[in-house]
This record gives sequence, C-alpha cells and structure tokens, in this order.
Amino acid sequence: MKSLSLKSFRAWSIVLALLVLTVLIVVPLIEIFIQSVYRDGELQWSAPFRTLANSGLVQVMLGSVWLGICVIAGTTVLALPLAWVMTNTRIGRWKWLDVVLLIPFMTPPYIGSMGWILFMQKNGYLEQLIPAMSHITPYFFTFGGMMLIMSLHLFPFLYLLLRGALERIGGSMEEAGAVMGAPFLYRFRRIVAPLLLSAYGMGAMLIFVKTIAEFGTPATFGKRIGYEVMTSEIHKYISSWPIDFGKATTLSSLLLTACLLMWYVQSVLSRRFTYSLVGGKGSRRSALKQKGLAVWLSAIFVFLLLVISIGVPYFSILAASTMKLRGVGLAWNNWTLDYYKQLLTWGTPSMEALMSSIWISLAASTVAVVLGTWFALVIQRSRSLSQRSVDLFSLLPNTVPGIVMVVGLILLWNAPWMPVHLYNTYGMVILTYVILFVPYTVQYVKSAAGQIDGSLFQAGQVFGGRSFYIFRRVMLPLIIPGMLSGWMMTFTIASRELVGSLLILPPSVQTSATYIYAQFEQGQVSLGMAMAVVSVGFTTLMLLIIESLGSRRKWNA
Amino acid sequence: MLNTTQTRTTFKWGKGAALALALTFGMALAGCGNNAGSNAAANAAAASNGGNNASSNTAAASASASTDTDSSSNTTAASTDKKLTVYSAGPEGLATKLIEGYEAKTGVKVEMFQGTTGKILARMEAEKSNPVADVVILASLPSAQGLKDEGLTLPYPEAVNADKLNPDWSDADGNYFSTSASALGIAYNTKLVKTPPTSWEDLTKPEFKDQVNIPDPSLSGSALDFMTGYLSVKGDSGWSLFENFKKNGVAMAGANQEALDPVITGAKGVVAAAVDYMTYSSKAKGEPVDIVYPKDGTVISPRPAAILKSTQHEANAKAFIDYLLSDEAQKMVTDAYLLPGRTDIKADNRANLDEIPQFKVDWDYMNKNGADITEKFTQMFK
Repeated sequence: MKSLSLKSFRAWSIVLALLVLTVLIVVPLIEIFIQSVYRDGELQWSAPFRTLANSGLVQVMLGSVWLGICVIAGTTVLALPLAWVMTNTRIGRWKWLDVVLLIPFMTPPYIGSMGWILFMQKNGYLEQLIPAMSHITPYFFTFGGMMLIMSLHLFPFLYLLLRGALERIGGSMEEAGAVMGAPFLYRFRRIVAPLLLSAYGMGAMLIFVKTIAEFGTPATFGKRIGYEVMTSEIHKYISSWPIDFGKATTLSSLLLTACLLMWYVQSVLSRRFTYSLVGGKGSRRSALKQKGLAVWLSAIFVFLLLVISIGVPYFSILAASTMKLRGVGLAWNNWTLDYYKQLLTWGTPSMEALMSSIWISLAASTVAVVLGTWFALVIQRSRSLSQRSVDLFSLLPNTVPGIVMVVGLILLWNAPWMPVHLYNTYGMVILTYVILFVPYTVQYVKSAAGQIDGSLFQAGQVFGGRSFYIFRRVMLPLIIPGMLSGWMMTFTIASRELVGSLLILPPSVQTSATYIYAQFEQGQVSLGMAMAVVSVGFTTLMLLIIESLGSRRKWNA
Repeated sequence: MLNTTQTRTTFKWGKGAALALALTFGMALAGCGNNAGSNAAANAAAASNGGNNASSNTAAASASASTDTDSSSNTTAASTDKKLTVYSAGPEGLATKLIEGYEAKTGVKVEMFQGTTGKILARMEAEKSNPVADVVILASLPSAQGLKDEGLTLPYPEAVNADKLNPDWSDADGNYFSTSASALGIAYNTKLVKTPPTSWEDLTKPEFKDQVNIPDPSLSGSALDFMTGYLSVKGDSGWSLFENFKKNGVAMAGANQEALDPVITGAKGVVAAAVDYMTYSSKAKGEPVDIVYPKDGTVISPRPAAILKSTQHEANAKAFIDYLLSDEAQKMVTDAYLLPGRTDIKADNRANLDEIPQFKVDWDYMNKNGADITEKFTQMFK
C-alpha cells in the first residue's frame, strides 16, 4: 500500500513536471524547429541542409567547439586549485572571499570584455600607465586573449561546484588515506579526483555550453580579432536586416546537437561516477589543514587571481566611468563623479532601469528556485526514461543560446492563437528569465541531492518519520545550500541578462543591462560603465548580506 | 505498515503542494499578463473593426473599438484612445525629447522601444503575427521602402508640413516621411590625424594603414547606405575602393558608435562612413574628434518615420507624424546635430545640406541590392 501510493505520487509528479517543461521549454523550441523548415510560407524540408551546405559554417562550428574546449581547460586551471585552497587552507575561512570570487561571474561578459579591451588596446590604460608595455599588448588581441577573458568570466561557476563537492567529500576519506601513508598527489589521484569527477563533469559541461552559447565576449572581443562563433552568426541573422529566422534556427539546431551530445557524455559519466558521500555520520573538515609555505603559495595564487579577474577589468570600468573626456585618458584633472550623480538621481530613466532590474530578477529567481528544486527532486538519479526526460528538458535552456530560446518564446507567446497574452508584459520577462535560468537551480539541487545516501531516509523511516517530515527535516536542510546557490546565481545572472531583454522587454521598460547597452550605442560609454559599477555593486552587497545570514545559520551538510 | 494512512495523507498533501505550486506559478504569470491580456483583447476587437474601414474614418473605428471593449466607461473616442507605441532608432536623447513633446501636446501616453534599425526590424519580424508598434522611426531609407513594398505601411499623404520635406527622402504617397537625416563623412581623432583626408581614396594611403574603422553595414543602416549609394554611382568598379580599404587594414567594427569609440580614445585614427551627428555631439562635449566630408561626394542617410498599417491608434499615430514635422520637433532635430527633414529649416551647429558634396545616388538600386552588398562586404572584411 505504502509503496504503491509513493509510486503513484512520484509518477504523478513526473508527469506534471514533464507537462510544465513541455509547455515552457519544449514547445518554444519546437516553434524554432518549425521556423527552420517553414520558409516563405511553405514547408521546405531541405532548407536546413541547404543552409548547412553553405561553406564556412562548418568552420564557424569548429571555432565554437574549440573555444569551448579551451575555456574548459582555462577554467579548470583557475578553479580547481582555488577550490582546493578554499577547502583545505585557512584562507577558506574568509567568507567574504566567496562573494568576491563571484564578482567576475556577475560582471556582464560584454562589460568585462570591454574593460579588457580598454585596458589592452593601443593607447589603452595599460600603455598609459606603463608605456613600455606597448610591445606586448598586440599579443592580447588573439585567440589566447579571448580564451583568457572567457575563462576569467566563467571560472567562479566551476569553482562553486568543485568547492561544494570537495566539502561534501569531507576530511575523513582523505585522512584515511593519509593514515595509510599515502602522499598528497596519490591521495588526490586515488581518492579526491574520482569523487570529484561527477561534479567536475557537470561543471565542465556547463562551462562548455555557456562558452559556446555566450554572446557578449564574441560580440565585443571576438569581432575585434575576427574570431567567429555560432552565436555571433545566429545573432547576426536575428537582429540585423535582412532577418532570417530560418538560417538562425538551423544554426541553433546544430548548436543544440553539439550541446546535447555533451550532455549525454556528462550524464553517462555522472551515473557511473556518482557516490553517496553524505552519510549518517555527518562530515567535518579535514584535520589535514595546510600550513606554512603552502598557505603562502595559496594566498599568492588567490591574490593574483583576484587581480586579473577583478582588478584589471574593474580598473578599466571604474576609470571609464569617472572620465570627463574619454579622449584625454588617465589624468587627474580628467576625473569626475558626475555620471554617478546623473545615474542615481531618483526618478531618472537610469534609476527606473535599476529598480525594474532588481524586482524582475527577484521575482524570476524565486520562481526559478521553486520550479528548479521540484524538477531536481523529480529527476533524482535519472534512472527511468521519464526522469531522464525531465533532466534533459530542464537543462535545455542552458544548452540553447539564450537568443534562440527567446525567439522561440516570442514565437509561442505572441502567436495569434495564444489565449494568454504574455508578450510585451512583465510576465513575459519573468517567464523568460525563469526559463533561461532554471537549469542553475536544477544543477545545484541535483548535485546536492545526488550525493545524499539513501540510508539517511531509511534511518528517518525507521524512527517513524513521515515522508513529509523526512523531507522537511532530512532532505530539505541538505539541499538548501544548493537552492540558495541556485537562487543567488539566478538573481545575479538575471539582473544582468542582456540578449533576451533586448528582444523581450516591453517598450518603455529598461533593465540595467539594456540601459548599459543603450548607453554604449549612444556613445555614453562613461554613463554605461557607471551603471555597470552600480548594478554589480548592488548585487555584490546583496550576496554579502545573504552570505552573512547564511553563515550565522549553519547548514552543515 | 504502522502508519499507512498517515503516509498517504502526507502524500496527498505533497500532491496538493505540487499542484498548488504549479497553480501559483501559472496564476502569478497570468496576473502579470492580465493587464496586457485585456489590452490585447481591446486591440483584437479594434482590429476586427479596423479591417473594414481602412479607408480612414478613424474616429469611428476607435469609437467602436472602445464600445466593444469597455462599454461601461466614457465612450468618446478621444478619452479612450490615449496610447501610442513608437519604435525608434537613433539618438535616444532626441527620441525621448520628441516623445515628451508629443505627450505634452496631445496627452497621449507613448510607449517607446529604442534600438538600432536592425533591432527594430528584427523585433517587428518577431511580432509579425501580433504587431505592437504603431509608428517606427528608422535610420535607413531603404528599410522604409522595404516596409512599404511589403504593404506594412499606412499612407498619410495629408500630413501637415509634408510638402516642406525634402522630396528626395520621403514617399510621394505619404508612406514614410524622413523627418531628419545624417550625412556620412570621415571622422578622425584630432590628436592623431594632423592632416585630415579629403577624399575616400585618401584612406588607402600608407599613412592610414591599420588606422581606419568602418561600421558594419549589417548593423548600421547608414553605413549600408554609404556602400550601396557609392556603388550605385560607381557601378561594380566601385568595389575596388573597398578592396583597397581592406588591403590597407581597414577594420569592420560594429555599429556606428562602436566604430567611433576607439577613435575617441585614440586606439584608431579614423572612421570611414561615420555618421556625422555622433561626431558633432562628441566634439561638442570636448572630445578630440572632428569630421570632414570628402570632396568627391558622400551619401546622406535620411531617417524615415512611418505609420504601420496594423496600428490600433491611427489618429494618434497621424498626430505623431504631424508633430515630427512641426517647427518644434524640427528644432529638436537640429539640436541633436542632425540635418532637419524640412528644407525650410537650417541648423546652425553643423554643416547644412548645401555645404555637403553629395553623390547622385539611386535609391531604387540601393533598396534592391542592399542584402547582396551587405553579404559581399561583410565576407570581404571578415
């Protein structure tokens, strides 16, 4: 009886989840597919293939994939040592570092790239500070520079996942190894690395997908060095005359295929290498805290990382935002705070943009967390086909370039037969953000829930805990850190989302991101940069507050 | 076994919670959409009427729309139809001022979407099945001709002051009105370039090697106007200029402002086919930039405004066009360093039309060949 009702509840929940996902995510993507074969008012099955046959596209596709692979390597080099340092040395005790390390990720990519360009270009800030560097700066405007910019933007994402996994591994297993006399590298290779693999695979996949779906850096930096990727091509077909949704949607399907392949490999890896790490005994930090030289080296590493990931772009952003005349450059008499005054005056368009950005992101991240947690719990360890479908569908928005998803949503919600008219309302904006960013919560919660040992629930049942009680007292506390991470991620990314917002915001409504973009378009670079500082500053402040609340209430997994 | 029933009730609760969750989500969205839902209903109702009386008599159309949708409220046409949606390309400050001026004059509430010509056209394409915009202001004449050819524009030949507009830039049947224009020139950094170029060919000289930016014609309607205009005069032999540009390291760099910005900061020296009003306003701020118009001629890029046939607010849209052509609005245009659309108004802060050497361009050719030229040019400069 009991297991029967349990099963029926599960089945019912899966069906409902599939239904919601279908309406929200799958149907818009199908609309995209229909657009790719439905040209000039008639069905043309060969159209996508004709587009693909167009030479040069393969080159662009390979360019995207190569970039994705290189950025995985780049982020790994940055994030893995960092995650280790933060779990195994005293540096990890500085809680504020966790928030500071999110800043690169919260910086909109096109702003970050802009910062790097302003810093490194001819007559840029670096040459103004150290004229001798003018020999070196041209080397930055190459593929390597692009890879560096994107890795510096995305590494916090991998770092969070790896750190979470390392913390769940806890100290005891490594200690056991140490007791048996295993040296550090051996312990890492035989104990930590295998346990880390599932989280790393997940992170690497998301990094790959984020890289090849990224638009900001290719649009600013990539254009500069002539490196073309799929997103820039898709964007070209969608936003410049003549508009060609057919070509854009075909290219998107190609991109989608690559991402799905990636997802498949990752899910195989993760099913094979997922271990139950959170057992009944509770975990504690390792006693093998590093001391002496190792701590100093770690500190230097963290310091250098902060300088290049935050110091350089923000130096440029701050400099540009406080410059009276951009043609004059760095000079004390060229310094002003007027742009901030102009920006933060109550009732101005900039202030309204900031406010609407905040409340839309708050609403979207809250809905996304609720939905995402639900999906993640339905997915569990994706044993059955339907669970795997939920997994696949809920991650789709992360595997499709934002702009493609958004076009699909517009096609669907603005269709004449649609009974609910969401298009051109705030509801549409929130819906779009929720759909675009729900994969984050799914990933975080899945990662947290996936490593809880079933024995915990059995223990709860043995002691007579009812299902909801077990959920509330065992499951929920263990997944709350994941939910919180998902919420934070969604909020920060939603508050800087650009490509979708450009297409979906109702007329007269601006968010901080579209405001910045508009200022760049209008030649008010300084004003745009000032807005970037204010909005990133605000999200950082908010995260600091949440972090301090979080550390007072320890959710010890 | 011990507590089967209890378990079941909890699961029922769980079931309910899941349902409640889904419902809340749905309702929250519906709540957000509510307002628009009713608007859309109003629009749909108006559309069903509007289709029948394309032959004007807009007051009746809007009146019937208002009675259909909201019979309880005051049913005079003027009091219910106080809305207008404008999609505008070009300087944001100007667009905002124009809209504020129009709102103050008519009491109509204007919703505005601001973007480049490409973005506006893309948005219109996305909204094709459910159009939102009433009036569009674009930065490229061929695009407006394209809209007209597709039958998307609503003619308004009786617009006030339309006869004073430059006839070369506007549609004789009143499908679009170029209420302002920008001339394309060579913008340069005054610190880096001591002897400014005087012709397009000058930019192929060694002294400008790797110094020149040119806007991307797929993003900048005005840059495309330059290329198509130049080729319409020179024929296919005109491509040699662009080939020589490429040989001399000319870089294609985004839309107009993205091309100009590196010149302001000194990373590059020159923008070929720069929109003049942006350069003038940067210069007025004190930035080290200036602009020259090549002696051999250049292209003027008119900025057409058009009413869309799908409009639900025809009377307001027409009043908006009238406003754009008024003395007041034309003054705002010149204040933004643009060329006024009306021939009887002069700007005192910039070169006027008669001071700019012009090519005798063929707008029909430009309209027809825009896509091919964009393609060829962007391939060449990749």
